[in-house]
Amino acid sequence: MTTTTTAPSTGAAGTAPAGAAAVPPKRNNLPTARYTMAQMRRSAGRLTAAGIAILIGTAFVAVTLLAGNVITRTTYDTIAARFADADVLVTTSGSDWRQDVEAVRGTDGVTAAEPVRSAYLNLGDGSAYAYAEGIARPQDDRLMPLELTSGKWPSERGEIAVPDGIAERLGVGVGDEIDIYRWVQTDAETGDGEEVAEPVRVVGVTEDPYDAYAVSGGAVVATAADIEEWGEEPVPGEAFEIAAVLAPSALSGDEPTQAVRDALAAAVVSDGEHAAQTVDERAREISAERTGGEDLVFLVFVLTFAAVALLVAGLVIANTFQVLVAQRTRTLALLRCIGAGRGQLYRSVLLEAAVLGVLASLGGVVVGVLLAQTALFVAPQFDIGVPLPATVTITPQVVLIPLAVGTFVTLVAALAPARNATRVAPLAALRPAETLSVRKGAGRARAVFSALATIGGFALVALGVFLGMNDAVQFGLAATVLGGAISLVGIIIGTVFWLPKVAALLGAIVARTGPASRLAAANTLRNPRRTSATATALLIGVTLIMTMTTGAAAARQTADSTLDETFPVDIMVMSGSGSVPPSAVDTIAGVDAVADVAELYSADAELPDGEYLYLQGADVEDLRATVNDAPALDGLEPGTVLLTEGQMEELDVAEGDTLDVTGTGEAVPLTVVRTDSVGLTGFVGLGDLRQIDPDAMFSQVWASLVPDVDAADALADVQQAMSDDGVMVTGPAAQRAQFEQVINVMLGIVVGLLAVAVVIAVIGVANTLSLSVIERRRESATLRAIGLGKSQLRGMLAVEGMLIAGVGAVLGIVLGLVYGWTGALTALSIMGGVSLTVPWLDLGVVLVVAIIAGLVASVAPARSALKASPVEALGAE
Amino acid sequence: MDTTVYVPVDGTRAVRARDLTKTYGSGEAAVHALAGVDVDFAAGEFTAIMGPSGSGKSTLMHLLAGLDTATSGQAFVGTTDVTALNDSALTKLRRDRVGFVFQQFNLLPMFTAEQNITLPVELAGGTVDRQWFGTLVETLGLTERLTHRPAEMSGGQQQRVAIARALIAQPDVVFADEPTGNLDSRSGAEVLSFLRRSVRELGRTIIMVTHDPAAAAYADRVVLLADGRIAGDISDPTPESALAGLDALRTLEPNVSTGTTPVVPGAGAR
Ligand SMILES: Nc1ncnc2c1ncn2[C@@H]1O[C@H](COP(=O)(O)OP(=O)(O)OP(=O)(O)O)[C@@H](O)[C@H]1O
Ligand SMILES: [Mg+2]
Repeated sequence: MTTTTTAPSTGAAGTAPAGAAAVPPKRNNLPTARYTMAQMRRSAGRLTAAGIAILIGTAFVAVTLLAGNVITRTTYDTIAARFADADVLVTTSGSDWRQDVEAVRGTDGVTAAEPVRSAYLNLGDGSAYAYAEGIARPQDDRLMPLELTSGKWPSERGEIAVPDGIAERLGVGVGDEIDIYRWVQTDAETGDGEEVAEPVRVVGVTEDPYDAYAVSGGAVVATAADIEEWGEEPVPGEAFEIAAVLAPSALSGDEPTQAVRDALAAAVVSDGEHAAQTVDERAREISAERTGGEDLVFLVFVLTFAAVALLVAGLVIANTFQVLVAQRTRTLALLRCIGAGRGQLYRSVLLEAAVLGVLASLGGVVVGVLLAQTALFVAPQFDIGVPLPATVTITPQVVLIPLAVGTFVTLVAALAPARNATRVAPLAALRPAETLSVRKGAGRARAVFSALATIGGFALVALGVFLGMNDAVQFGLAATVLGGAISLVGIIIGTVFWLPKVAALLGAIVARTGPASRLAAANTLRNPRRTSATATALLIGVTLIMTMTTGAAAARQTADSTLDETFPVDIMVMSGSGSVPPSAVDTIAGVDAVADVAELYSADAELPDGEYLYLQGADVEDLRATVNDAPALDGLEPGTVLLTEGQMEELDVAEGDTLDVTGTGEAVPLTVVRTDSVGLTGFVGLGDLRQIDPDAMFSQVWASLVPDVDAADALADVQQAMSDDGVMVTGPAAQRAQFEQVINVMLGIVVGLLAVAVVIAVIGVANTLSLSVIERRRESATLRAIGLGKSQLRGMLAVEGMLIAGVGAVLGIVLGLVYGWTGALTALSIMGGVSLTVPWLDLGVVLVVAIIAGLVASVAPARSALKASPVEALGAE
Repeated sequence: MDTTVYVPVDGTRAVRARDLTKTYGSGEAAVHALAGVDVDFAAGEFTAIMGPSGSGKSTLMHLLAGLDTATSGQAFVGTTDVTALNDSALTKLRRDRVGFVFQQFNLLPMFTAEQNITLPVELAGGTVDRQWFGTLVETLGLTERLTHRPAEMSGGQQQRVAIARALIAQPDVVFADEPTGNLDSRSGAEVLSFLRRSVRELGRTIIMVTHDPAAAAYADRVVLLADGRIAGDISDPTPESALAGLDALRTLEPNVSTGTTPVVPGAGAR
C-alpha cells in the first residue's frame, strides 16, 4: 500500500450526519423501473404464459366488440342502401306527408323526391306462400335500390316486380299471376274483417345488389298507388322520410348546400320537428336507434362469458405473480437491504403487471382483429343470409376497452402478490435459499367470508328452487342465479381451505401407481395454495360448462316427457283446412316405417249448460293399436268420454258424472273417464261420435311406427308421401328434433364461449407446472443424479398436471351437477315433474378433456426440466 | 501499512449497542442469541467480530443494522436508535447510512457491475456522485469489470462489486457478514485488503463478522463474542492473537456460560 491518500471529498465522512448528503432526496416513484424491466426480461418465459391468458381474454372482448360493430355496420349499410342514390333525406312527423312530398318536389334544386313507404305483403298461389316487404316504384330510378334482371318495372296498378328469391320459391316468372292476401276491415266499429286474395301480375324480377332488403328476404315493387292502398297510414310520431335527388347546383361536393337544406326545412308542411340530412347522417342515426337494443343484448350476453374468461385469466395471473414473488424473495430482500422501500417493491410488482397487462392486451386486440377479419373473410363462403362488410371497423372502443380491461384485470390480480413482495424481510437475503418461504397463512376473514357466501348463496338457491316449484319461476330463477353466483364466489374464495384435502385424497390414490406418481402427489401437496389456485381456475370453467350441460339434459328429459303427454302417438297427420283427404289413410299405411293407422273424426258438441266440447272419435281397436300408451284407453268404450283433470275442472264435472252431449244428431249421455294424457282429452268411441254428429269430419290420421325405426326419418318419409296433399305431418319426433336442435345450438354456443375460459385455465396449469419445474430445478437434478429416469421425470410431471386438472375437473363436475339440477328444478318445475339426470356422456367428455389437458400442460415444463443436465442444475444458484 | 495517514475523528462512535438482547422462541425452547451486549464501534475503524458458531455474531450484526428487531436494549447508528425505527425510517437508514456485504448472493444477476453499484442511489432517488464512483471503482480495481454481469465475474470480483455497492452512498458504517466465507484464500485476501483500504484511504467504518483469524488480522480491532455476550477485545490483532483469543473462548467455554469474562491472553480491553 502506498503512502498518503485521504479520500479527498470524504475526509470526515465517518461523522457526517448523513453520509449520502451528496444525494438530495428526490421524489422518484419509479426508480425501480429499470430493475422491473430487467426482472421481466429474466422472467419472460414465465410471464409469457400468464400473458397469453390475458391475451385470450382480451381477444375475446375485442372480437365481441368487433362483432357488435359488424352488426351496427350491417344495419347501417342496409339502411343506407335503401335510400339508393338520394342526396338528401327530409324527415318529418308525417302528419301531412302528401303535401310534404309535393313541397319537396317543388323546392328549387330538387330533381326528384319520393316518400319512403312500405307495406307488408303476403304473396301466394294457394300452395306456397311468401312474406315480403312491398315498396313503391319511385318516379326517378335513381331512388330505386333494386335492379331489374328481367321484365319491366310495374307501371300500372296490379303489376308487381318480385325478388329473384321469391320468384324461385313461389315458382313464378314474368307474366304469371299470383295472389296478394290482405286483411280487410269490414266493420270499423267491431274491428271485424276478412282476408281477401287479390290477384296481381308479375311483370318483373329484381335483384338486390346492395343487400338493402336482404334481411327481410327481398322487397316486392309495386306502383305507388298500390303500395298506398296495401300499406298503412304512417304512424304519428314515427319519423316519415322523403328521399330526394338534387341538381348539381344544389350540391357542394357530395353534400347538399346549406341553402337547399334551409329551403327544404322551410318547405315542410307537417307539424313537429323535421330535418334535412344526408343519407350518411340519417343512416347513422337510424342504425344507432335500431341497434341500441339488440346490440346491447348481444354484447351483454357475450361479454358475460368474456368476463368469466377474464376472471380465470386473472386467477392465472395472480398465481403466476405469487410464484414469481416467492421465487424472487432473495432478490427482493437484497433490494430491501440496500435501501428499497416497501412502496418501491409494491410499485415494482404493479409496474410489471401493468407492462404485462398492456402488452398482452395489445396482443389480444391484434389477435382479436385478425380473428374477426378472418371470420369476415371466410363467412361469405357459407350462405348466412346476412350481408356482411368486407373488413372490420376498428373504432377507438375496440382498442381501448380490451386494453383497459386487460390491464385492469392484470393489475388487480397482481395486488395480492405485490403486497406479499412488501412483506419480504430484508433478512431473507441472508438465509439459505432452500428455507425461504413467503408468508402463506390464509386469513380468517377469508374463511368467514367464504363460508358466509357459500352458505348464504346456497340458501338463496334453495329459496329459488322452492319458488320455482311453486310456479313463481321468474323470482325463483333470479334467486337461483344470484344465489348460484354468490355461492360460487364463496367456493372459489374458500378453495384454499379444502381443495388441497381433495387433492391429497386423489393424490393418495394416484401415489399407489409407482415412485414417480408418489413424487408427483407429494409435489402437488407441497404448495397447497398454488395447487388450489390453479385447480380453481379450471374449476370455474368446468363448473359452468357442467351446469349448462346438466341443465340442458334436464330440459331435454322434461321436454321428452311433456311431449309424450301431448303426443299420444308417433305421427299425426292433419290438415290446415280441417279435413284430411280420404286417400291419406292408405298412403300413410303404405309407408314402410308405419305399423298401424287410425282414422280420427271430430265434431263440436254442445253441453246442456251451453258450453262447447271438441270431441274426437276413432275405432277404439285401431286407436289402441296406434297410441303409445294403450292402457290409457282402458276407460274408452261406448258411452264414455275421456277428459283430463284440467278439462273436468273447466267443465265443472267430476269423474263418473254423466254429460248429455248434443251435436247435429241426437243427444248422447256420456260418462266422464279421467285421462292423464292431454292428447286424448275429448275422445269418444266412433259409434258415439257418429250418433252425436253423423257428418263428423275426417280430421286426422294417427300412425304408429314399426319398432326401432328412426322416428325423425320415418316422419320425413310420411311427409314425403303426403307432400301433394297439403297436410301437416307432425309428431313428437319432429317436435323433439326441433327442440333438441334449439337446445343443442344454445348449448353449443354457451359451451363454446365457456371453452375459452377452460383454455385459459389449462394455460394456467401449464404455467404452474413450469414455475414449479424452475423452482425445483436443483431438486430435479438431485433426483436425476440419484437415478430418476428421464421418462420417470416426465411421468412425474404428467401425473402432477393430471392431478391438478383432475381435482379441478372433478370438483367442477360435482358443483356443475348441483347448479344444473337446482337450476332445472327452478326453471322447469312449472312444466311438470323434472327428471334430474346425470349427463354421463358429457361428464365423461369433460373429465377426459380436463385430464388430457393436464397431460398436455406438462409437456413443455417436462422438456425444460430435462434440458438442464444434472450437473448444471446442481450448480445453478 | 503504517504509512496510511487517515486519522479517525477521535471519540466518535459510529455504532453502539446497549444491553442488547435477542431471544428466539419462548419458555423452555427459548434461545438467548444475544444476552445483554454492550459494545462500541469507533468511526473510521475496521472491526472484526469473532466467536464460535452460534455465539450470536450474525444476530448482533442484524440488530445493529436494523435488519431484525431486538428483544430488548438499544442499538445506535450514530445517534439514531435503530431499535426504535419504523419500516420507512429503517429503509431510509439503509439507503443513506448503512451498507451491507453478505457472504453470497450480493448482486442482482440481471444487472451489470456498474448498475449493481449505483442501484442504492437510484433507489433513494438520487444522482450518482461520479467522482466518488470513480474513486471506488479505481480503489477496488473494478474499472475493467463495469459492464460485466455477476455471472461473468469471479467470486472475489463479485465481492468487490458488493463492497463498492455498499460504499456508494457514503454510509456511516458498512456491515459485512463473512464476506470472504465463500472465497479461496487468495481472493479472500484481495477482498480484505480492499476493505481495509476503504477504511484507511476512504475513511469508512466497517464492521465485519468472520471465522477466520487471518481475516480478522486485517481489522483494527477484534471483538470476541461467546454465548451471546462480549467475551473479549483485541486491538491491532494478528492472526496469532486472534486465534489465541478464539482458543481461549473454547477452553473457557463452561465459564463463558456463567457470564465470567475470560482473561484472554493478548487481549486488551478498550
Ligand atoms: N431465526 C432463528 N430462530 C431461532 N433461533 C435462531 C434464529 N437465528 C439464530 N438463532 C439462534 O441464535 C443463536 C445465534 O445465532 P447466530 O446466527 O447469530 O450465530 P453466529 O454466531 O452467526 O453463528 P455462525 O458462526 O454459525 O454464523 C444460535 O444458537 C442460533 O441457533
Ligand atoms: Mg453467522
